[in-house]
Amino acid sequence: MLEIKLYKTIDATSENCTGPIGELSSAMNDAYVGEGVAILLGDEPTRDDVLVWARRTGNEVAENISEGGKFKLILRKVK
Amino acid sequence: MKNVLVAGGGLGGTIVANRIAQKLSNEIDKGEVNVTVLDKDDKHFYQPGFLLVSMGAMEPGETHVPERSVLDRHVKFLSGDKGTMTKIDAANHSISTADGASHHYDQLVLSTGSHLQFDEIPGFTEGADTFFNLEKARDMWKKVQSFTGGKIVVDTAMLPHKCPVAPLEVTLMLDDYFRKKGIREKVQIDYCYPVPGVFGIPNVNRMMTGIFAERGINIHSQFTLASVDAGARKITSKEGESLDYDMLVSVPPHKGAQVIGDSGLGDRRNWIPTDKFTLLVKGHDDIHAMGDTTDIAISKAGSTADYESYTVSHNVAADITGTDGKKTYPGTVFCFIATGMDQATYIKFDYSHPPVPPTPSQIYWWSKLAYNKLYWSIHARTMI
Repeated sequence: MLEIKLYKTIDATSENCTGPIGELSSAMNDAYVGEGVAILLGDEPTRDDVLVWARRTGNEVAENISEGGKFKLILRKVK
Repeated sequence: MKNVLVAGGGLGGTIVANRIAQKLSNEIDKGEVNVTVLDKDDKHFYQPGFLLVSMGAMEPGETHVPERSVLDRHVKFLSGDKGTMTKIDAANHSISTADGASHHYDQLVLSTGSHLQFDEIPGFTEGADTFFNLEKARDMWKKVQSFTGGKIVVDTAMLPHKCPVAPLEVTLMLDDYFRKKGIREKVQIDYCYPVPGVFGIPNVNRMMTGIFAERGINIHSQFTLASVDAGARKITSKEGESLDYDMLVSVPPHKGAQVIGDSGLGDRRNWIPTDKFTLLVKGHDDIHAMGDTTDIAISKAGSTADYESYTVSHNVAADITGTDGKKTYPGTVFCFIATGMDQATYIKFDYSHPPVPPTPSQIYWWSKLAYNKLYWSIHARTMI
């Protein structure tokens, strides 16, 4: 798999007014094209929401794994 | 002599400095410890009040006092050039200020806040009203009073921003204001948000989506503000949607303090990588961060800073005296949410427990107003 330079990792497993997609959208805005942002999520529905958001915004899902009931996605900025 | 420096004299910096001084008052009296707040501004602003100013529910003069007046007598305060931080040198445990001085620290608390970036969106400065600083909140109130009908667009340019519930609040307050004025049918209100839904927490999103539907407020999400055309009175999103407006009320993009970026301590938006439990800056055991300053995925709100101040002040005092164990921050946040000009609800939650907002009522509205009044006498001075 192509090595991706991570801009940052977001722990979005806790309650937060901005929400996981809000945190992610900001980080993807600041990432450079080609860089990735990792996000840790606490439940499957939220993971699915983030996957829909990634498709809608044209960000590539480079990694999608489950770790001990939590979920980790790495999104790569492609444009 | 040991030195505790608190970078930033906003709500978070003031409260944490007062709590630290209270815990170390004996050591300070004996000349063993100094606690010093650094800030370029000698005024202390209660920023949550700006929303109420923009809707005529609070007087502008009620939102600020001299910073010295709310600091514990044991706390030193440097402002102007003496308090303007130009560089934080973590390797040498010091902060440089604009007057050329260098301030050594044994423990540092970073509470440098979030800052408005009006120029980040083309046309924003010319075309948007906002209530995120006092001057613009005053201007907005004048426009609200003279608005006789047309399209009002409430837009959040980018997340995260301070006071996350404020876009919901101003939308519902505008709705209620024009209902009470008898001209609501002449006012179209559109709410634009840069992620799906109207808010990031599912319980709150469900409640507010329902209230918006009842009140006839149109939702546009996801709508990520790309530009404002002040001449044509039109905003355009990155998703390609355009909306006309007669009045645009918008939340500008936010960033962490410039000195954080200049000191190499933050990410590209100058938020500081911070442990969500210990509130220590990652890689530094003598630098604490709190409030809007951190990159923690948590609400950038005054209550967040206040709750964090209990953890940070305890741990700073423990490090200075070496006499007690450390505390961790459980992620507690509390915010009132105005749902009109005389009603509100609230959310309280932590890292593990989601909020369950109660049905809006006048009791919570009066509680919100009472808290604003009591902030100066009780909370800023950390009587509780």
